[in-house]
Amino acid sequence: MTPQRPVRLIVCGTADRGDDGAALSAVAGLLPGLPAHLLASIDVRRCEQLQVEDLLELPDETGCVIVDAVVGIAPGAVVTLPLEAIPCADREAGIAPRSSHALPLGQMIELAAVLKGHPVRGSFVGIGGRSFGYGRGLGRTVRSGLPAFRAAIEAELIRLAVPAHPAI
Amino acid sequence: MHGTTHVDAPGAPGIEHDFNVGYITRVEGEGSLRLRVRDGAVVEARLSIFEAPRYFEQLVVGRTPDEVIDIVSRICGICPIAYQMSAVHAFEHLFGVEIDPQVRALRRLLYCGEWIQSHALHIYLLHAPDFLGYPSAIAMAADHREIVERGLAIKKAGNELIKVLGGRSIHPISVRVGGFSKVPKPAALEEVRRSLDAAVEASLETVRMVAAFDAPEYRREAHLVALAHPTEYPYNDGRIVSSDGLDLAVDRWDDAFEEVHVEGTNALQARTHEGGVYLLGPAARIALTAGTLHPLAAEALARTGMADAIRTNIYWSILARAVELLHACAEARDLIDGYRRPDVPKVPWSARPGRAAWATEAPRGLLFHRYGVDERGFVADAQIVPPTSQNQAAIEADLTAFAPSVLDLPREVATVRLEQLIRSYDPCISCATHFLDVRIEGSS
Repeated sequence: MTPQRPVRLIVCGTADRGDDGAALSAVAGLLPGLPAHLLASIDVRRCEQLQVEDLLELPDETGCVIVDAVVGIAPGAVVTLPLEAIPCADREAGIAPRSSHALPLGQMIELAAVLKGHPVRGSFVGIGGRSFGYGRGLGRTVRSGLPAFRAAIEAELIRLAVPAHPAI
Repeated sequence: MHGTTHVDAPGAPGIEHDFNVGYITRVEGEGSLRLRVRDGAVVEARLSIFEAPRYFEQLVVGRTPDEVIDIVSRICGICPIAYQMSAVHAFEHLFGVEIDPQVRALRRLLYCGEWIQSHALHIYLLHAPDFLGYPSAIAMAADHREIVERGLAIKKAGNELIKVLGGRSIHPISVRVGGFSKVPKPAALEEVRRSLDAAVEASLETVRMVAAFDAPEYRREAHLVALAHPTEYPYNDGRIVSSDGLDLAVDRWDDAFEEVHVEGTNALQARTHEGGVYLLGPAARIALTAGTLHPLAAEALARTGMADAIRTNIYWSILARAVELLHACAEARDLIDGYRRPDVPKVPWSARPGRAAWATEAPRGLLFHRYGVDERGFVADAQIVPPTSQNQAAIEADLTAFAPSVLDLPREVATVRLEQLIRSYDPCISCATHFLDVRIEGSS
């Protein structure tokens, strides 16, 4: 069997804050159905809130898929972005940091790239969320978007893991 | 920064002008600063916090004390432990809960973790770029990679400490009335103990690095307020003291201070009952309680010879923060060395009705909580007074006093200096709304 490239799947969000748990729910449903050879190359990390250290700890040869719920797109809609494109997209959107003294995703990716000496390779897959209230489960709109979210995550895992797809 | 606009030179008399910085970056949350200038003098400085109100004080109504501890930790991703600590101590004080001394030590250790990650993040990623002439930590990292890496390594030690004690590094979940839901075995602390050796050395280097920075010339005698304890640098216990002789029990904040609503802001501000403005945070704590610093931190502070500068020039709060970073790393190491696992993680307790109130020292300053507890043991009403909303008036006072010295400077330089001043407070707007665009306008 052709050896595959390692991929780290970073699953962001919290299950007890409404649609913020979408990535956890999607990955929980996705992993059991993945073929064994693909699963063998995936290292799953759960991460409530992404920090730059999560990117700095990535081995150089490892691709990265970050999955999370997002705002700014329609609830239930799915978006896939190359990590390298996010800093530029953030700047064009004029995004200012909003929470937790944490650097925004684009700045985290830029800082990690500067410190690592090369770009962080991989993808971000997000699903639009509507409600992030405390003690709630996923909303109906996001639940209905989970199949597409899972499919998008799986597609990125395969693209990054399989040598026939030298995209990373 | 975003959205800077400028119509005319601010110092020119008889001409209307407008200075507007859309957002202050490298602070937490969203708000604006408006400076009104008349004949070269600042006649009004107003911080308008427009981040949406967050209604946490209503969210906790009808909840049990343990639920409240988990809810209030969600107010802030950087200082959740401060919210947990003020709440848990308030309830325990009302319910007469006596906690195990080792649980008390573990809570100090947990607070050390929060101070380490919060102070390291602010010093290295948010504030140092101002002093070294970079627009961001990213630009700074390109030239000073080792500085950013050092900051991230210290921060990681704090995060790991929180994770071991709190179950996870963001919004920890182990704090309970009477103790913890789970306490670590000593072996679980061994790895973080090793990282603290390196963090102590890196924090010593942080103090040396920051003390060598150039800060703008500025002096204002602020009214300083902090907790003070006879033998410990203040985290969870002490009395509320001030530079003008205030000495209050820790649950009696509202005997001396009150919250007021100021037009144009979603955050309540705080004043003394006489309308006085006061300063909280690292500079106030160093000025009022330096005698209880860890010997390593006290010695490092003494070597800088800058204790007076910390007290009177808010730009040197970065040095106060660095000294506290060293203190927290060194104390955390000592606490782990002295750790003995308590027999039980928490003691039983019974709710009783009444007024539950306490204040602890969050990384940004004193955080006061007050809860009314009903006959069934549920929270009936709540008041949460974060440090940033208490510091907001002091930020405005500093801007009013400092801004005239930069109004004749090129617009970009003036903006950087004003933003740098605001960042000196490490303001947490999200905490306060439960806060920045800078705008200067005026007429003759």
